[in-house]
Amino acid sequence: MFKKLWISMLVLLSVLVACSGGGASNNLTKDETPDKGMEVFGEAVMFNPNKLVNDGEPITIELWTWGAEDVFQKQIDAYKEIYPNVDIKTVVNPWDEMWTKLPLALQGDDGPALFNIHNSQHDNLINFLAPYDIPLADLQADFSGVDAHIIDGDIHYFDIGIMTGSIFYNKVLWEEAGLTEEDIPHTWEEFALVAKQLTKKDDTGSIIQAGYNFNGDYQAMVLGLPYQQEDLLFSENGQNINYDSEARLAFTEYLHELYYEHEVGSPNFGDDSSQSFGNGQSAMVYKWGWFQGELNNNYPDIEWGVFQTPFITEEIPFAIDRYNGESTFGINKNAPSAEQEVAQDFVRFVLAGDDFSVDYALLNSTFPTKYAVANHAEILSNPVLSVLSENIDRYMWPGPFPAIIETVSGQVFQEIFYNRKDIESVLSQAQEDIENGMSQSKFISAEKNYLHYND
Amino acid sequence: MNGNVVERKKQSIFSLKNVTIVILLLHFSIFMIYPIIMAFVGSFHHWNPLSNVFEFTGIENYIQILNSKLFWTSMSNTLIFSLVVIFFRVSIGLVIALALYSKLSRFKTTFRTIFYMPTITPLVAVSFVWVWLYNPQFGLINEVFNLDINWLRDSRTALPAVMVMTTWKDFGYATIIYLGGLMSLPKDAFEAAEIDGANSWTAFKYLTWPLLTPITMLVAVTSLITYLQSFIQILVMTEGGPGTSTYTISYLIYEDAFINYNFGSASAMSVVLFVCISGLTLISFKLTQKKAGV
Repeated sequence: MFKKLWISMLVLLSVLVACSGGGASNNLTKDETPDKGMEVFGEAVMFNPNKLVNDGEPITIELWTWGAEDVFQKQIDAYKEIYPNVDIKTVVNPWDEMWTKLPLALQGDDGPALFNIHNSQHDNLINFLAPYDIPLADLQADFSGVDAHIIDGDIHYFDIGIMTGSIFYNKVLWEEAGLTEEDIPHTWEEFALVAKQLTKKDDTGSIIQAGYNFNGDYQAMVLGLPYQQEDLLFSENGQNINYDSEARLAFTEYLHELYYEHEVGSPNFGDDSSQSFGNGQSAMVYKWGWFQGELNNNYPDIEWGVFQTPFITEEIPFAIDRYNGESTFGINKNAPSAEQEVAQDFVRFVLAGDDFSVDYALLNSTFPTKYAVANHAEILSNPVLSVLSENIDRYMWPGPFPAIIETVSGQVFQEIFYNRKDIESVLSQAQEDIENGMSQSKFISAEKNYLHYND
Repeated sequence: MNGNVVERKKQSIFSLKNVTIVILLLHFSIFMIYPIIMAFVGSFHHWNPLSNVFEFTGIENYIQILNSKLFWTSMSNTLIFSLVVIFFRVSIGLVIALALYSKLSRFKTTFRTIFYMPTITPLVAVSFVWVWLYNPQFGLINEVFNLDINWLRDSRTALPAVMVMTTWKDFGYATIIYLGGLMSLPKDAFEAAEIDGANSWTAFKYLTWPLLTPITMLVAVTSLITYLQSFIQILVMTEGGPGTSTYTISYLIYEDAFINYNFGSASAMSVVLFVCISGLTLISFKLTQKKAGV
């Protein structure tokens, strides 16, 4: 009986091993033609296809990502066409799992050679990254998102696209309120007036259509929009949080007035502003670029438009808002050298071409950092990207700051708008909470790298 | 002859019973003992396993959490949540068990199944359903009672709202356990009481309730252990909000470890929670033994 059990387990194990396929380089042919007859392409970052990769011997590497696999696959297929001896297998992980599995996999010697990075995970990944085998000057010549990522003269990854906030509006509700394109607000004062026009109430005075809904968006806004008043998120040494500031207080008071004086919305009307906008209950929302995909996928019937986040005055401010970058690939420094070599070559291939920058920008509604594609027709015809293109150099990146800042900002919104606590004391408490939460952090702000920092 | 003895010895060593025990021991050691030891050791370190940081900091993590206002808010929320839910779970469970046990009630099996169904439904699913029920714009609760309350975003109602959901989900367990207890009570004692002229209330007060004490303690202690670790309903329904008004200690540990990656202070909080649960469980058992006269 027991013998049978052992035999069954062995058979099962053999079947599993047989099915797993392992890391074998299946269906790959040896490449014996260094001269591909192709032209070298790229501007500063150049790619010469006329060579052998891994001496032409079959090799397979893995690329871990949490999404965008179609865009990556397009590049992989193009690369494989040049080098038939190379296979790059895409492994898609759910977002949450990616950031626990990947750092642990990278600690061993069998982690993926290539992986997609999100800069919020910088601290957990940086020790496992090999620097790019591309001269820094070449990267700087081709891309604007490089400088903030230089570490000891090396680049381990950088921003391939910039994601930031804009105001999305419902075109049907806009027209119903008698508004036209001419009424698009340029200042926060004008914005409040338009929001009032877009608000609808029933006979009892209850809101049935919010002119502007920022429920769930406060944490994104309050960490970037105070830049308009030259208020940095971190102190001059880049280490201390500057949360309890005059500008943040003023901006929060403005939002408070929108809900409680102008009554253009309510914390209790449409808990989730994305859903509320998608259901046609809220006329305007502040959202980052990802919202375009959300609307196209989940609310295809909504006719929407987008305009630039308003300023304090008509003049362009010191900085309009915070941005966050979508990053290029990371290369695993613990991977076997042959795999690293392929990974380096693939990264150069991707960066030298323009397709990846354009495809990735359109997929994520991120503005491409590659100068060569900034005026690409497809980029400028995208509603979100065309709005950002107007003042793309006026967005600031504070660096991959610790998650506690966003967590506490979410609590600040709830303390003020749900628990109705005094704004000043809530901001003061938030300052203290973030300071405590960052006491063990080695984070240094990248605000000094902002192009107009010394303006 | 000798060969047979060796063969039999081999067989007895690798018997199904021994292998099962070894597997269970391994499982217990790897997934219980080792993590507990690691958490204890880690609580004295600045620890982020994802970036491979493990630096000794002494009792700094303990000092930090004991000085944290949020830690004490979370502890107090956890205690209030546990005591209230246990009270209602036990009370409702007992009342319904008595009703089902009564000779007057009909369709007992059907009702037993209905009351037990929420208990076997995954907590995540139930929590999501209740988030919709509590929705201020289209939630059933506001619609039915003609109210205008944002249940999960008002600090006065958020924690009670989660308590109501948890009680609703869990009272079925107490009902089934009490029913089992009621069925095992000595019938002759109740017959004697009836002959002596005891009415239903007197019989309950002087017979049923005292005889059910071990069952009550079982439900209370298992509930206490469960509710002191309440996490899923908080994560799904309130994420600790509004503000920090529904933070429980388990939610705080989760946030510290898996969002802020401060495994050291999260471990220190886990150790404190472990000590609290152990202490309260020990007290409960002592009380049970005392009442039972052991």
